[in-house]
Amino acid sequence: MPPSLSGTIIVVGASSGIGRALAMQLAHEARPVAIVARRAETLDEVAREINDKVGARRAFPFEHDVSDIESVDRLFTRIEAELGQVDELHYTAGIMPEVEIDEFPTDKDAAMQTTNAIGCMAWVNAAARRFLPRKQGHIVGVTSVAGDRGRLDRPGYNASKACQDTFLESIRNRLWRHGIKVTTARPGPVHTPMTEGLDVPMAISAESAAKSIVKARDRGRAIVYVPFKWRIIMFVIRSIPSFLFRRMSV
Amino acid sequence: MQWQRGTVRGWGGAVGGESDVVRPTEISAVQEALASDHGPNGIALRGSGCSYGDASINPGGRVLDTSRMNRILDFDPERGVAVVEPGVTIRDLWRRSIGDGYWPAVVPGTQQVSVGGAAAMNIHGKNNFAVGTFGDHVRRFTLATPTGELLECSRSENSDVFHAAISGFGMLGCMTEIELELKRVHSGRMRVWGIPTRDLDDNLSMIEDLRESSDYLVGWIDMHATGDALGRGQMHRGVQFREGEDPDGATLLAADRQDVPTTLFGVVPKGWIWPGMLFARQLGMVGFVNAAKWRAGFGEGHRSPYPQTHGAFHFLLDYVPNWQKAFSPLIQFQPFIPFDAAPRVLRTLIEMCHKARLLPYLGVLKRHRLDKFLMTHAVDGFSMAMDFHVGGQARRHAVWDLTQRMAEVVLDAGGRFYYAKDATLLESSFERIHGRGAVEQFRALKARLDPDGVLQTELSRRLLGRG
Repeated sequence: MPPSLSGTIIVVGASSGIGRALAMQLAHEARPVAIVARRAETLDEVAREINDKVGARRAFPFEHDVSDIESVDRLFTRIEAELGQVDELHYTAGIMPEVEIDEFPTDKDAAMQTTNAIGCMAWVNAAARRFLPRKQGHIVGVTSVAGDRGRLDRPGYNASKACQDTFLESIRNRLWRHGIKVTTARPGPVHTPMTEGLDVPMAISAESAAKSIVKARDRGRAIVYVPFKWRIIMFVIRSIPSFLFRRMSV
Repeated sequence: MQWQRGTVRGWGGAVGGESDVVRPTEISAVQEALASDHGPNGIALRGSGCSYGDASINPGGRVLDTSRMNRILDFDPERGVAVVEPGVTIRDLWRRSIGDGYWPAVVPGTQQVSVGGAAAMNIHGKNNFAVGTFGDHVRRFTLATPTGELLECSRSENSDVFHAAISGFGMLGCMTEIELELKRVHSGRMRVWGIPTRDLDDNLSMIEDLRESSDYLVGWIDMHATGDALGRGQMHRGVQFREGEDPDGATLLAADRQDVPTTLFGVVPKGWIWPGMLFARQLGMVGFVNAAKWRAGFGEGHRSPYPQTHGAFHFLLDYVPNWQKAFSPLIQFQPFIPFDAAPRVLRTLIEMCHKARLLPYLGVLKRHRLDKFLMTHAVDGFSMAMDFHVGGQARRHAVWDLTQRMAEVVLDAGGRFYYAKDATLLESSFERIHGRGAVEQFRALKARLDPDGVLQTELSRRLLGRG
């Protein structure tokens, strides 16, 4: 189905995982897709792969490190100058370094906060500033079910995802009255380079996660669990009182 | 010699009338026919009759139909060179050559076209930008002129006649033997992409972007779309497999594996489709059907690239048997517009159709390049074919008026036209299309090879006058 918007799409974190799969899906929508990521070689390869599949040049690589928040606005302007007005942003960049159960690594926590949350804020703000006067646009942020609860595993990751999730909710509440949609996608475990080598039960492929996210965008949904069953699982997990939850090993 | 009276129409069914027709099988019979007492309207040359307009009709006159001169005289499987009579169709040709790994270098949207007609009209395919026109692949031919001569023509012998008879819409003589080069194919299929396009500029820039890396490019345009979506559609891109890339495809190098499928989705007999199309047109639902087709293009995009046989990719006009019945009578208007002017002119033309409330049910965009033929339609730019239904006197007049006004816009931009498609151009346009020098050269050749003006068609009388 053709999308309701027709301008340029930005996918941040498009060199691998869900971002890469999303960019591939979105490139079939007869719109230019700016794929933004840190590693130039991988990015060029992804652009080539997408364009070979689509059959035409729809993916355009832009090298960028999301921790460099100063340059986001400049890059956004450059993308609009090169590819035309942007009306859709997908923020999918995320990191999840290995953290031992007895490890309390401030450096790793800060890095996760920077990539997962601060970078998201910078890109979403840059998009919101432009979308607001135009009264049109759609922002999709990929968070995680991990943000729903402070589990004993990876405190920094859970916190960064909760931060990103709450930020997106606030932005949604600000923008919805102007006709701009904000979708928060909370995937469960997904097979991506980020989860490689980890034991990920019930994981789905990045492609099927991307498909669900695009469907949620088409329907203008505010919050979507990917896949749907995580809505039920997380409802149950969120309902567990804290005094019980800390006694469980989840 | 048996001249038979009958109705002879253009392919679109919009123009035609009673003529005396002869269908010779030998060169001597062609010469005899050309020398016969023919009356003031002379004799028109006709191949398979697939010109949309009046290029092969001659109401009130005679028609020499070459369709029974249909022998393939020689085919060299090593070099891919064929020597054929003019009535051999593109279908006859590829069925003979595909087993040896050769496919005609240039094919149109229907395989019914005759080789003689294809050469005389200098037809093009979806690869005009890459390999030129049909004439670019003709090595030599024999031309039977109304003066009774048999002229051997090639790039080195009678080269002026060679370059004028190809593109000369049957005005200089009847080709009786044609030698042409086919192109090598290593698989019976190609890689095909269907790519949705969001507007006219997207279509045009995509063609520019892809033409270096594609063997075939053709854009469908939803002529009903307006506003930001004006000129939206779907690009079809074909890329041939190179040697060794598609070993399974070798089994499809067989005549019986290439034909256009006979059912839709493998179920619906295609003979059932045209009544549905007729129904859609009569209910005024063509815009709705086009919008649905555009949306369906997104699904095809996700499935791309997919393998498709050469026959299935090329012969779209043969997909739906009797499709003309749904839109007949129809004419096609196909302006050729130089590259720089194309975005502006094409947009203007589509807007003119909307303003006149005469929407073509089909629009097709292609990229072209220049060639060396005298009466060429080629430009270094784009063409957009528009099919109009012309049923009813009022609509007919309105379409004629609209296309003539559109032709002015095209000619002002240095554009050209293609006589296999034309039905409405005015005599005054002819010199503006080709330039005075080329027209004088053509008239001089005509005076030399056909001094009595035997060869005529409705088209030639419309554009050249009777003189």
